[in-house]
Amino acid sequence: MLEARYVDVDGALAFVELAGAGQPVLCIHTAGQSGAQWRHTTTALAAHGYRVVVPDLPGHGRSEPAPGGPVRDLADYARFCLTLVDRLGLQSPLVVGCSIGGKIALEMAAQAGEGIAGVVAMAAEAGRGHIKLNSLERELEDIAAPSRADRTYLGTQAVLGSAVDEARARLIATMHRREDPAVSNSDLIGWGTHDVRGALGTIRQPVHLVAGEDDLWISADRVRWAASQLADGRFTLLPGIGHYPMEEIADFADVLAGWLAELTVRAAARLTA
Amino acid sequence: MATEKVRTLAPDAASTGSWCFEDFVVGQGFEAGPRRVTEADLETFAAISGDHHPLHADPDFAARTRFDRPVLHGPFGLAVVFGLFHELGLVVGTEVALLDTMWTYRAPIYVGDALSMTMTITRCRRGRDATAGVVNRHVELRNQAGEIVQQGTTAFLVPARTAGPDPVGLAFACPEWGVALAAALNEDGRFGAAVASWDGTIGLRSGSDEIQLRVYRGRVLEAVRRTPAGPTFTLAASELTWTELVTGPRNDFMRRVMLEEFTTTGNAYEYLRMTKALDLIVDAARRIGQEC
Repeated sequence: MLEARYVDVDGALAFVELAGAGQPVLCIHTAGQSGAQWRHTTTALAAHGYRVVVPDLPGHGRSEPAPGGPVRDLADYARFCLTLVDRLGLQSPLVVGCSIGGKIALEMAAQAGEGIAGVVAMAAEAGRGHIKLNSLERELEDIAAPSRADRTYLGTQAVLGSAVDEARARLIATMHRREDPAVSNSDLIGWGTHDVRGALGTIRQPVHLVAGEDDLWISADRVRWAASQLADGRFTLLPGIGHYPMEEIADFADVLAGWLAELTVRAAARLTA
Repeated sequence: MATEKVRTLAPDAASTGSWCFEDFVVGQGFEAGPRRVTEADLETFAAISGDHHPLHADPDFAARTRFDRPVLHGPFGLAVVFGLFHELGLVVGTEVALLDTMWTYRAPIYVGDALSMTMTITRCRRGRDATAGVVNRHVELRNQAGEIVQQGTTAFLVPARTAGPDPVGLAFACPEWGVALAAALNEDGRFGAAVASWDGTIGLRSGSDEIQLRVYRGRVLEAVRRTPAGPTFTLAASELTWTELVTGPRNDFMRRVMLEEFTTTGNAYEYLRMTKALDLIVDAARRIGQEC
């Protein structure tokens, strides 16, 4: 069964979905989107024996805006997520994120140390994302952002993998078009300016980095490199998949459950050692 | 980016080695090779060209450079392209004439490499006197690791079998193509809705060809090489990009935009406003292209 809660974090209400019982798993969405991206994952993953927790980041989905305005620093999102973990009393959660969510997950591991059991970061390089910062800054003014909805709709489809059929691609793009452009652009500025490369060596927990073969927004080689810089890093390339594995792969919860089981074994082995 | 190329052979002329202008179709792809590069190739090419630079002739000199060991002369790779094309046997019995070659050298070729070529037909235009046509070809030369060592385009003149007329669906950015494209757009209610309140001109450029679509309140009024006030913006890409965009398995226009295969000049905001319209223009180009 799916539960929903509003939690006060730093003076704003944060919306969270929860399902299942067991080892907590926090699932973090991508830029401009919401926990709805995990709608096919949440209960299916819970059935594998996890306490699945899906927040909407501040300003996204059903969460209230961040009190200081749209967030431009992914470290702020990491602090928000860690506060939420604390408020919900989650013990050593695994963290799964995609795109900015993947970078936030890595940042959480770097900030929290032993408080995080392990990370699955998808579609995320450790270094600064490839964006046009000036254009994003300029497009925070509405007058400079013509055809935003069309560009989000068609641009989303352009970064989906070749294995995704047309109907699913249209559905994903239609849902992504629900964004608040001011929030999305701020997220992307965070994506383009945040750099966790320097912290990779400090992350002791097991980390699984995942890249879609057809993802135009990242370089699989740079993700592979990041995995090599981690104490316990692993890399997976997903053929035919683009920037949004949890929305593109039909049985994603089962795939993720496999990765999480492996992370749990590696985390236990590390603590025993 | 790896692209799947259509690989077809014109059925009739293939065996005869006497392909004519009409046998070449935009989107056709050919593969040839591998050809092993030998020590004798290096020595002979130095002798033929007179280029005895120590990069090619002196291993000690080459060892102190970025190349590590002697490299083949750049034009050797280009020469191999024409040799491999000859081996395809398409025009061994046809009077052809080479017209131009636009070429880039991306990586060194060494003795021992195995070179392979892929060739895509990107432009076919009949000459004014109708007895011959110009066929442009995009060529990629790869080594045994699959790395592109050289690439570019090279056009040649091929005699025609008939006096025409020729299909226009793949003649990107030529005036007849523009007319066919405009007709397809004016039949598309989605395009009409997208530009219902727009007044402007969209330039479409493929290689060095350009047409301009004069758009006013939901309709393309005309498609011509030049409009009096010029284009609001122009969208440009190589002939290869247009070829792959129109003949490929799906409309991947936005993907190619993100990969920066297209450039735009003119009013950047109007270009962004026309995002959906441009996607529909590509849809229409694919429809008229695939009717060919």
